[in-house]
Amino acid sequence: MWYFRSPSIVYGEDALSFLSELPYERILIVTDRNIVKAGLLSILHSNLPSGSKNLVIDNIPEEPTISDVTDRSKQVMEFSPDLIIGMGGGSSMDAAKALFVMYERPDLDLFDITPLVHLGLRKKSRLILVPTTSGTGSECTWAAVLSDRDHGRKNELASPEIIADYAILDPVLVQKLPQSITRNTAVDAITHAVEGHSSQWKNPYSEAMAEKALRLITHNLPAVLRDGNMKSREMVHIGASMAGLSFSNSQIGLAHAMGHSLGAHFRIAHGMSVGLYLPYVVDFNQDYSVESYEILRQCFPEKYRGESLGETIRKFFREIGQPLDLKATGIDRDEYDLNLSGMVGLAEESTGIITNPREANSQEILELFEAVE
Amino acid sequence: MSKFPSDEWAKEYVEKLNSNESYQDAGKQWEGAITFVIQPDGEFKDTAYLYLDLFHGKCRDYKFSMSAADVPKSEFSYIGKYGNWKRLINKEIDPIQGVLTGKFKLDGSMMKIMRFTKAAKEMVSTASQVSTEF
Ligand SMILES: [Fe+2]
Repeated sequence: MWYFRSPSIVYGEDALSFLSELPYERILIVTDRNIVKAGLLSILHSNLPSGSKNLVIDNIPEEPTISDVTDRSKQVMEFSPDLIIGMGGGSSMDAAKALFVMYERPDLDLFDITPLVHLGLRKKSRLILVPTTSGTGSECTWAAVLSDRDHGRKNELASPEIIADYAILDPVLVQKLPQSITRNTAVDAITHAVEGHSSQWKNPYSEAMAEKALRLITHNLPAVLRDGNMKSREMVHIGASMAGLSFSNSQIGLAHAMGHSLGAHFRIAHGMSVGLYLPYVVDFNQDYSVESYEILRQCFPEKYRGESLGETIRKFFREIGQPLDLKATGIDRDEYDLNLSGMVGLAEESTGIITNPREANSQEILELFEAVE
Repeated sequence: MSKFPSDEWAKEYVEKLNSNESYQDAGKQWEGAITFVIQPDGEFKDTAYLYLDLFHGKCRDYKFSMSAADVPKSEFSYIGKYGNWKRLINKEIDPIQGVLTGKFKLDGSMMKIMRFTKAAKEMVSTASQVSTEF
């Protein structure tokens, strides 16, 4: 017995107009300053139901902490929304999920967000997530990652009840996405597809989503990076949400366990960090995931296909400019080496290590961290 | 072959756990006791308790009983019906998925156990290494 969970998905050109017909009157928007600066908040505004009262929280920081969320919950309680919209990258959408729980259940602690606790949400409001990057997949998942600054730890809060009611994928929101963010977030999505497809918890649904996601992303991303081709952008956007559905319904693996751990020690974009480890993890897993990896290898355009999936990913990453070594990420090698034992410890605590196709012990995780050139 | 659940089975399980290197590695920082609770169903009429005192990758002590009063209190309990234990030992259920689908219940701090999912998984999967008679 297992589940396939997904929000209802509204996608394609003009998808945001779906909002204008909704019967909500008090709408909370959770977003960040860059979204406002990029003019995306006004696009959202122009699509809200006429006459609705809106409150905008536009200062969600990157990689929000538990207190970043709890500090804002009073404002939400006072406003008393009947709809919460999280718009942005993973940070804003995850913060919206957490605020949704705090608003619905002020008696709970954020750490009560586990699949084992019945939260009983949706008594006061509904949740809609609107991604402005193509990669995190957060709009489709039932997890929210919130950092714990004191411990340098990223807490993965998960509950099937925090999955959005609707995810809205409107390509207009990613039209002007800068190249570096387009690349980093797409690499994250590729990693979601690879890990979701080969996870120990893989299932026909996660496999199907991952295969299509990987095809859409790898066949369209080079054109997006070259000239911002709009049709290709839309395909990458859809692919990223499918990759989110894949891993959300199976699990991530070791590349995410290690990438999260690197991200807790160094300031590095999430996609860049998981992508840095992905080829190494894939080589490490190869003999334990032969069938899945062969299918995934075939999903890449022919010109990038190497002998193995690892080689194929390296070729593709080289083409799009995703760093393949530490130097290219800007992290200092000596500092990296000094943090190795802490990074191994943190990676071991991730659920990704039990669902990775090959289980890894501390020594093997250490060797993988060290193997990165 | 040991009958599940029984003191004999528990003894063999603890021996297997203490020689499982993956468990020792994953549980090297774990401190806290856990009780396996086997609940009655059509096939098995009683409730059985296996208390395990776990410390830094080793099981220091154990106690098997058919009565809750006979086993010490523990920080965690992993609870399931006899039929689901059988499927778990036969590797037909993943121990963590078993919890997520409600086949097993986990009592105790989720925050703590979520950082030790590898140890938890190794602990439960060791049960499938015991040559078991049902
Ligand atoms: Fe990710």
